[in-house]
Amino acid sequence: MGIKRLARDAVLTAAALTIFIVELQLPELVPIPGVKLGLANIVTVTALFTLGAPDALAILLCRILLGSLFAGNLMALLYSLSGGLLSFAVLLLMRKLLTKKQLWVASVFAAMAHNLGQIAAAILVTSTPSLLVYLPVLTVSGIVTGLFTGLTAQYAVGRLKNVLKK
Amino acid sequence: MKRTLFLILTLALLLASCAAPVKRTDTVFAMDTVMELTVYGDEALLEDARDVITDMESRLSVTLEGSEINALNSHGSAALSPDTVKLLEGALELCALTGGALDITVYPLVRAWGFTTGEYRVPGEDEIAGLLERVDYNAVALGDGEARLPEGAMVDLGAVAKGYLDDAIAGLWREEGVKSGLLNLGGSVYALGGKPDGSAWRVGVRDPFGSGYLGVIEARDVAVVTSGGYERYFEQDGRTYWHILDPKTGFPADSGLSSVTVVGQEGLLCDGLSTALFVMGLDAATELWRGRTDFDLVLVTSGGEVYITDGLESVFSLSGSYKDKEVKVIRRG
Amino acid sequence: MAKTGTWVTIILVLLVLAIAASLFLRLRPAGGTIAEIYVDGRLERRVDLSGVTVPTRFTVETERGVNVILCEPGRIRVESADCPDKVCVDFGWLQDSAAPIVCLPHRLVIKLTGDAPIDAEVG
Repeated sequence: MGIKRLARDAVLTAAALTIFIVELQLPELVPIPGVKLGLANIVTVTALFTLGAPDALAILLCRILLGSLFAGNLMALLYSLSGGLLSFAVLLLMRKLLTKKQLWVASVFAAMAHNLGQIAAAILVTSTPSLLVYLPVLTVSGIVTGLFTGLTAQYAVGRLKNVLKK
Repeated sequence: MKRTLFLILTLALLLASCAAPVKRTDTVFAMDTVMELTVYGDEALLEDARDVITDMESRLSVTLEGSEINALNSHGSAALSPDTVKLLEGALELCALTGGALDITVYPLVRAWGFTTGEYRVPGEDEIAGLLERVDYNAVALGDGEARLPEGAMVDLGAVAKGYLDDAIAGLWREEGVKSGLLNLGGSVYALGGKPDGSAWRVGVRDPFGSGYLGVIEARDVAVVTSGGYERYFEQDGRTYWHILDPKTGFPADSGLSSVTVVGQEGLLCDGLSTALFVMGLDAATELWRGRTDFDLVLVTSGGEVYITDGLESVFSLSGSYKDKEVKVIRRG
Repeated sequence: MAKTGTWVTIILVLLVLAIAASLFLRLRPAGGTIAEIYVDGRLERRVDLSGVTVPTRFTVETERGVNVILCEPGRIRVESADCPDKVCVDFGWLQDSAAPIVCLPHRLVIKLTGDAPIDAEVG
């Protein structure tokens, strides 16, 4: 891994981490586990569409690991991981189906997948299938927050295209 | 990753279910009642419990020829085994605690009313007055492994025996490492631990005015015993006479209570008190409760009001047709 | 490549479906007044909220942390907790709703159910 690439990925991870920590300080929108803006995903989406899958995945994993550590909530690691990986898989899949101008669509589906993954992990961990009742609410919030992060990421990709060259 | 997690969880679940003790149940007919035993563990645990029941009945039965109590009643004195002495001592203490509202020597009166045989009758005033003279727990002389009774007096440990049996079986099971068991000795319940899933045993308190139960107690390591007039009674000339007699009057206790449920760690205490407090009534029962910390109460008045003492607040709940009723909580101080 | 309009339609349909489902679930009562508190999927405690007459407070301690739970007539909430996210506390009162209170960090779930059967009867 070249120095430049390492530095660039590290900066992006730091950015994602900062956004993540700042978001933690914001008051919750809804008192439902898993509902948040997921602003850090802006970085994931941006990285994927400019740098490619390996770099984006590395940044995502580092952010999740460090984020859980910094937030002092290692329990959340499992939920973040399952949500994060599932949404990443969806992003990868969607990338093949979309044009550059439709990037925000990938983000919407990724956000939904993220919440789905978190619910699945929560159901497994707490052995409480009835947590499924949160799925519709989480889908709505996924669409709304995914739209927001997606549009932001799309804007960022356009702007950072040249800066984040491989 | 998710698949691995799922696999691990499934395996853990399988392992847990293999290691969990097996539920064993048995039904025993003894001491004039039906006893249901439930325990999580070996079959031998039920065997042990049956042995305790058989032993206890052979010593304590009033009617069984050759039992220690039967011998005491028919000869006026008898040698008692250490276990029987212990129970008798405990019973006499309860008689004293309740000021004679529980009296183990009320048996001659119970017999006169026909509650022992089912040939019910209302004895005459003179007959009752005569029999009342024999009723006095203070006259039971106990010492040196021997008990003595005055002429004509008789002892019946029926009001405490099932509670004592609760303690004996639960104690034995505990020694044998049982974590979860439930005894229902003819309405005298003992919950050993909780259920294996971690929840408490749910004990229904019978509705004294109908079928079904009026509320549920979440029981964990406690005895739950109820006394009520509806258990055994007869009607004559439009009046109802039930089997719980007031040892002071010789007539069925008429204290304004329809049922008394006592919850506490000691089955003997709960059993004896449930009878005594039924005789004493709401106010006296409350007062006795305030002076102690080893039991809690559910009291149902003949008007259908439900009172509980504050220790039960988080474990008692109304159910069925009582759901919308108000529970009055009795507090200390 | 699908047209942007197609994607918008798909997303809109999903959104409407999800909103309808959440409204349906929100309006549907839980059909019970028994609050069950689970830790790690194990039933820890059961409280009949209809039997609660005065505010009652108790603590559920797990190896992962502590949740202080407050019961009032007909409703229950997590009053305080030492979990990092406090989602369970922010949930507020649980009353007549199918959606449970969840404290993911402590693996604690509080949900409402109907009557459970009894194990024995006294009297």
